[in-house]
Amino acid sequence: MVDRDIVDDLFVVATRELRTVVKTPSLVALAGVFAVSIVGVAWAGTGGSGGFVPLTLDLLTFVEVLIPLLAFAFGYRSILNDRLTGELDMLRTFDVDRIAYVGGVYVGRAMALVGVVVASLFIAGVLVPVLTADQPTFLAQNRAADSILRFVRFVVFTGGFTLVALAVTLAVSAAARTLRTAFVFATVLTVAFVIGVDTALIAGLASGVVPQEGIALLFAASPNSAFRGLVLEIAVGVVSGTSVNAGSTPLNAFALLLWWLLGLGIAVWRVWSPVGWNDDGGT
Amino acid sequence: MAVLSPSRVRGLSVVLTVILLFSSVSFALTPTNGEDLQPVPFDDTVGGSSGGGVDVRQAEEEGFVLPRTEVFFSNYRYVVGDYGIGETASKLTNPGTERQFGTPLAIYVSDFSTVKPTLSEEGFVVSENGQTVGWTTATNASFVVNSEARVPSGSTVLPFSNRADAKRFIQAHGGRIVEWDALGETVDDPLQSRLNRFHNEMAARHTWANKTVVESRAILERPRSIVVGDDAPNISAAIAAAQPNTTVYLPPGTYETDDLTVNKSITLAGAGNETVLRGNGNRSVVSLRTDRIAVRNLRIDGVGDVGSRRLEMQNGSGNWTTKVRLAYGYGDAGIILDGADSSVISDVSIETNASGIINRKSNQSVIDNVTVYGAATSDDGFMGATVIGARSVVQDSTFVDGRDGVYTHRADGSVIRRNQLEGGRYGIHEMYTSHTLVANNTARNVGGGVLVMTGPTDNLVIGNDVRGSGFGIDPAGSDSFYANNVLVNNGYGMRATGQQNAYLDNIAVSNDIGIRAGEIAPSNWFIRNDVVDNDKQVESELGPLRTWTHRGIGNYWGDLPLVDADDNGIYDRGYQPTGTVDGRLGEVSGAITLAQSPASALLRRVRDVVSGIRNSGVIDTAPRSDPFHPEQIANARANRTRGDAA
Repeated sequence: MVDRDIVDDLFVVATRELRTVVKTPSLVALAGVFAVSIVGVAWAGTGGSGGFVPLTLDLLTFVEVLIPLLAFAFGYRSILNDRLTGELDMLRTFDVDRIAYVGGVYVGRAMALVGVVVASLFIAGVLVPVLTADQPTFLAQNRAADSILRFVRFVVFTGGFTLVALAVTLAVSAAARTLRTAFVFATVLTVAFVIGVDTALIAGLASGVVPQEGIALLFAASPNSAFRGLVLEIAVGVVSGTSVNAGSTPLNAFALLLWWLLGLGIAVWRVWSPVGWNDDGGT
Repeated sequence: MAVLSPSRVRGLSVVLTVILLFSSVSFALTPTNGEDLQPVPFDDTVGGSSGGGVDVRQAEEEGFVLPRTEVFFSNYRYVVGDYGIGETASKLTNPGTERQFGTPLAIYVSDFSTVKPTLSEEGFVVSENGQTVGWTTATNASFVVNSEARVPSGSTVLPFSNRADAKRFIQAHGGRIVEWDALGETVDDPLQSRLNRFHNEMAARHTWANKTVVESRAILERPRSIVVGDDAPNISAAIAAAQPNTTVYLPPGTYETDDLTVNKSITLAGAGNETVLRGNGNRSVVSLRTDRIAVRNLRIDGVGDVGSRRLEMQNGSGNWTTKVRLAYGYGDAGIILDGADSSVISDVSIETNASGIINRKSNQSVIDNVTVYGAATSDDGFMGATVIGARSVVQDSTFVDGRDGVYTHRADGSVIRRNQLEGGRYGIHEMYTSHTLVANNTARNVGGGVLVMTGPTDNLVIGNDVRGSGFGIDPAGSDSFYANNVLVNNGYGMRATGQQNAYLDNIAVSNDIGIRAGEIAPSNWFIRNDVVDNDKQVESELGPLRTWTHRGIGNYWGDLPLVDADDNGIYDRGYQPTGTVDGRLGEVSGAITLAQSPASALLRRVRDVVSGIRNSGVIDTAPRSDPFHPEQIANARANRTRGDAA
């Protein structure tokens, strides 16, 4: 029974979040910009008109930079706004479970975000057969050179990476008590993910502080590097022309999962003070 | 917002989850990898479909076997087929190959364990009862090198899947066994060995032409035996009366003739432009029908106006070659050489609405210092000089208007040099013609300077200068050398196409399109060229992204706003002349700013990765900051006028 209530509540909150996203012009505009960027890369680069693997490689860096930013924009105010406007307190009078609330916010925002990301990539993927020039039919095709499977894998990884980035942003939104803190925290995390961790690692390697045997492990610690490693290893694979050794796949996958759990865990834990635990009573 | 009810959102979330889960099936499915790849019919491979070079034709005719390879690369959409095991091994050790095609996922080689190989007298490999040679993977095979087995162009390597078979072969024919990994290191840089051969061949062909011309000079200076008008009433009577190896002299004047035939080894000499041989406007003017005839120092007009007897002669059977020979070889001309070996036409001027000179199967003949004025339009006229089925020399001559200046059909080994071609359709037009030297010709205001068609091999097109024309040079075929040509102010300078051709040290200046890239398999070398001031530097048509750099040597694309920080004469980053942004560098305001944008930089960074399956285009990974041939560029820029006809 309790589970049913939580799930129902979760989707009520999720619906409310989706409505908020749809009614926020800046988010809609941002989603549009993202979609245009992705399709633009497919259109302007030499990859989109070549094949799925080149397109994946063209998109990888753009996606890796844009998704944390997009997740930041979609998530950093979500819980915090409710807190600042007093809606959070009001919701709590309905005896909403914290998992239902945080989960609802997450599911609602994630649906919008993942929807935008996957749809954009889908359009970019559809461009491949459209843009690819006519190929001579009298030649035997080398089936191993390119495969749509590899691009689909990339889309799935990107979806997962989006979910992780949003979870981390949600944790910031739940933990922060003022807009300024949330903004600063989210910015710092985004910058750290996009360039900070990797730069620190390179600096560490250069100075000898980080042993090179530790690269795989430390790269896995950064969601961006873990995502990049997975795409290069599993999606692009040997097709990239060099023997792939893009870090440890299980380690990378595990790290992303850990970040996801950590983000959501912190959000659930920090969404309202432990007093709330006591109020909820005997669960 | 009734659209977004909780139940609908729940449904939507299920849909999204299902999509992601369904997509995850892609992890369970394995994309094709190296082990799944099986050999394809050799004719369907890139390289195999092109028919190959001389060795291949000879092998087909004489029924011996050439060892072949099929390579599946990680970054190349098609299967690369090749003749010669050593060549493939060498190519695979070249770092440029990996950059262009990626890593080899599967390498198949001819498996001589599937047949019983014997050697012919020449050392060519013959399979017993003409059995088809099967395939085996390269890593599986033992390779016999340094045995008595040969292919026409040199030694060859034979792979056997069964080591015992290889040992048995060695017992019979010598040699030793080498494994695949060691094989590549035993072979040289394929470009360097080619260039050496090209340079030797160029010298050899010039030498042959020089010798042929010197021999022809001897028959130009035969003692005078008959003077037309004094010793004989007309030319026919003079020829009839003349002793072989003497000169029939035609003093100044106009000589009306009707299908004059020379069937004696004599020299027909005039007094220059004042001696005019005038046909009756019907059929050809002079026909040479035996060896060692010379025609010199006179003028010819009154040629019939039938360029091609295509229609009247084609009612019979015969293949296409016969039809071309009949159609193109039996039109009206000023002079016909028909089986007239070692003959020479020198210092002759011809006015014609059909052909100037037609050489049918007259080997070692020379056309030297001849001027042909063709019809005003190419549709009305025909060829200046046609060479069919003969190895001969056309040099120091001028061909004005008409259709094609020099047209060759199966004229293997001919040398066409230092001619001037003005107006008309094509300057030099080679069909089914291999082993030629086309050197130091100049073409102005033609539809195209040099056009090579029909997949020949081993042609050398060197030092030609084409300006103000539809195109400069349009090659075809394989294993040929296009070098030191100057192409200015044409519709397009040159096409880079065919297989295993080397395009070196050419200069394309101020053309509408500098270079057109049109090969499906990027197997050509395009380096040390200066491509500057063209409206569009490179246009690419078919095929994947090509790398026009070999072992660190690229081309000069003009003074690009790029950085050469280490001052080594090579810009620090690769240049893509076909690129949306790079192609406009230095020409369009703001292009450099756009090129520096993170988006451009990002796309540029990944551009070289998997280039073999990217969209058609050209990249130079070592673009030069200084021209290779600065003086010639300066000269081209100073004399870039379109010419008279424009």
